[in-house]
Amino acid sequence: METPLLLRAKRLTKRYGRRAALTECDLAIPRGHVVGLVGPNGAGKSTLLQLACGLIEPTSGTLSVLGSRPAANAAHLARVGFVAQDTPVYASFSIADHLKMGAWLNPSWDRALAKRRIAAVGLDPAQKAGRLSGGQRAQLALTIAAAKRPELLIFDEPAAALDPLARKGFMRALVEFVSELGASAVLSSHLLSDVEQVCDYLVVLCNSRIQVAGPVRDLLASHHRIAGDPAKMPAGVEVIWTEHGRALVRDNAAVRDGAAARDAEPATLEELVLAYMSRAAGTVAAPHASATVSR
Amino acid sequence: MIRMILRQFRIQALVAAILVILAAIYLVHLGRDVSAARDTSQLPSQYGQTMLFLAAGFGLVPALIGAFWGAPLIARELETGTHRLAWNQSVPRRRWLAVKLTVLGLASMAVAGTLSALLTWAAAPVDQVAGDRFSTILFGARGIAPIGYAAFGFTSGAVTGLLVRRTLPAMALVFLAVIAAQFVVPNLLRPHYMPPERVTVPMSADTINQARMLGSITGGPVVGGLEIPDAWVAYTSKLLTSDGRQLSDAAFNECFNNAPKTGATGKFGEIAVCLGKLDLHVDMAYQPNRRFWLFQWIELALYLGFSALLAAVGLWRIQHRVS
Repeated sequence: METPLLLRAKRLTKRYGRRAALTECDLAIPRGHVVGLVGPNGAGKSTLLQLACGLIEPTSGTLSVLGSRPAANAAHLARVGFVAQDTPVYASFSIADHLKMGAWLNPSWDRALAKRRIAAVGLDPAQKAGRLSGGQRAQLALTIAAAKRPELLIFDEPAAALDPLARKGFMRALVEFVSELGASAVLSSHLLSDVEQVCDYLVVLCNSRIQVAGPVRDLLASHHRIAGDPAKMPAGVEVIWTEHGRALVRDNAAVRDGAAARDAEPATLEELVLAYMSRAAGTVAAPHASATVSR
Repeated sequence: MIRMILRQFRIQALVAAILVILAAIYLVHLGRDVSAARDTSQLPSQYGQTMLFLAAGFGLVPALIGAFWGAPLIARELETGTHRLAWNQSVPRRRWLAVKLTVLGLASMAVAGTLSALLTWAAAPVDQVAGDRFSTILFGARGIAPIGYAAFGFTSGAVTGLLVRRTLPAMALVFLAVIAAQFVVPNLLRPHYMPPERVTVPMSADTINQARMLGSITGGPVVGGLEIPDAWVAYTSKLLTSDGRQLSDAAFNECFNNAPKTGATGKFGEIAVCLGKLDLHVDMAYQPNRRFWLFQWIELALYLGFSALLAAVGLWRIQHRVS
C-alpha cells in the first residue's frame, strides 16, 4: 500500500463570511519534506495551517493530513504537533507545569527529550511562562509540540515576533527536532529567509490561492531569468513576471537546452518567489513586496 | 486530563472552598441556635427574616458558579489563544470539553448540595412551625433543587463563554441570566408542574382580615397574601361577587371610603366588615405541601435536562464552529 501523503488538499476552500481565505487549493506533498509556506501577510497561510491541525473546518473541498482528516481522533492528534502563531502558553504555569501537562495529555510524551531540550536552551523549569521572553516562549512551545514525538510538526509563523538572534536559535532548534524525530515539517513565514535555509519544499500562497508548489530543487531547475521579448518565447515556456526587460520563466526539460542558448541564467529562490508574488499582486514588485522577501 | 483540569482550576477551587467552609460554619451555628430554642412557636417570628434573607442569598450561588467557574472555562482559553495549545495535545477537544463539564459540573453540584443540605437542616425546626418551605423563595433554598440550579449555572456559564469568546462579558451575561431564570421559573413554570388544586374561599370579614393587603390598583379590587394551610398558593383571583363577576371599583371604593362605623377591630376594621357583607369570594389555586418533594424532583430534573441540552450545544459548537 502506498504511504499516505503528508498533505493532500483537493479544491480546499475556506471562507469567513464573504471573505475568501483560501480558494480551491490543490496540494499533494509527499512525506519526508520540510515544507516552507511563504506568502504576504493575509495570504491565507494561517488558515491553511489551522485547517491542517483541525482547529477550523473547510468551507468546501477536502484536506487530509498523514492520510486522515485533521484532528480526527486522539491517535491522529498525537501524530501532529502544532506551534501556533505567537506561541501561546499558560502564563500562570511554570515551565515544569507545561511539561507535566504534556505528559498528562499525550500518551507518547518523551519526558527525557523535553527535559533535555529545556536544559539545552538554558530555561529554568521553575520559571513562570508568563515571564519568558518571546524567544524563550517559542522554545517552550516548540518543546511541547515536539516532545509528543509527532510525525509532522506544523509551525505557524513561529519566528515572526522574534529578534534575529532568537530567530536563529529557534530555527536551529526546529531543524534539530525534525532530524531527531525523523519528522516532516510545515512552517509558514512571510520571510523567505526563514524558510529557504531549512526547507526543501516550497509552497507560495498569495491572494488565497496557491501560486506554485514543489521541491525546491525542481523549482530552481525549472525557472530561469532570460532577456528578450516575453511575447516571443518558445512553446512550453511560461512567463511568470517581466521586469526591467528581463523575464522570469518557467520551462521544462524539453526546452531547457534551447533556453540556455538564449542567455538564460538560473533564478534564485528569492527571485522566483518574488516573481510569483508580483504576478499575484498584479503590480511591479513594489517596495512592500520586496521587503517581504528581503533578508 | 483530570490532573490538568485540577491544575488549571486550583485558584478558583481554593477561593470557593474557603467561601463554602465559612458558609458551612455559619449554617452549623445557626442550626444549633435554632434547635436550642425552647419555645418553638416563636421560631418563625424570630428567624423568619433570617431565613428569607438566606434563601435570597443562596439564590446567588448558581449565578456565582456560572460567572466564576463556568464563564472563564473556555472563554479565557479563547481570549488568550491557549486553546491552540490545549487542543493540539492528544485529547480531542470534544472530549476535553466533556471531561471539563463533567468534573467541574459535579463539583458545582456538590457545592450547592452541601450548602443546601446544611441550610435545610438548620431551617428544619423553623420550617416545621411556619409550614412555608413550599413558598416561592424558600423552595429554592431547600432540598435537592439547588443542585440542579448549580449544574445549570455552571453549564450555561461554560457554553456562554464558548459562544461569546470573551471572559468578562460572558461572566456578566451569565450572572444576569441565572438570576433571571430564578425569577422566571418559580413564577411562570413551577405553578404548572402539576395541575393545582382549586378552592373557592368566601370573603367573610374574618378572612379578609387575614390577608396581607387589600386594594384596587389596576383592573379591579384584589385581596393579596391570603394563605391556605399546608399549601403553596399559586394563584388568587380578584374579588368576585356571588354571580362570579368582578367586584366593581365603585362598590369597593364605597366600602373603602365610607364604611359604616361598627367599631370593628380587625386588621382592616370597618372596611372588612363592609366588604364581608357583600357576599364576595375569591378563587384560589394551590399546590398542597405533600407535593413538596415531588416538585423538588421535577425542578431538579428540569434544570438537569436543560443543562444537558446546553452541554450538547457546547459539544457541537466546539467541534465545528470555533476559531
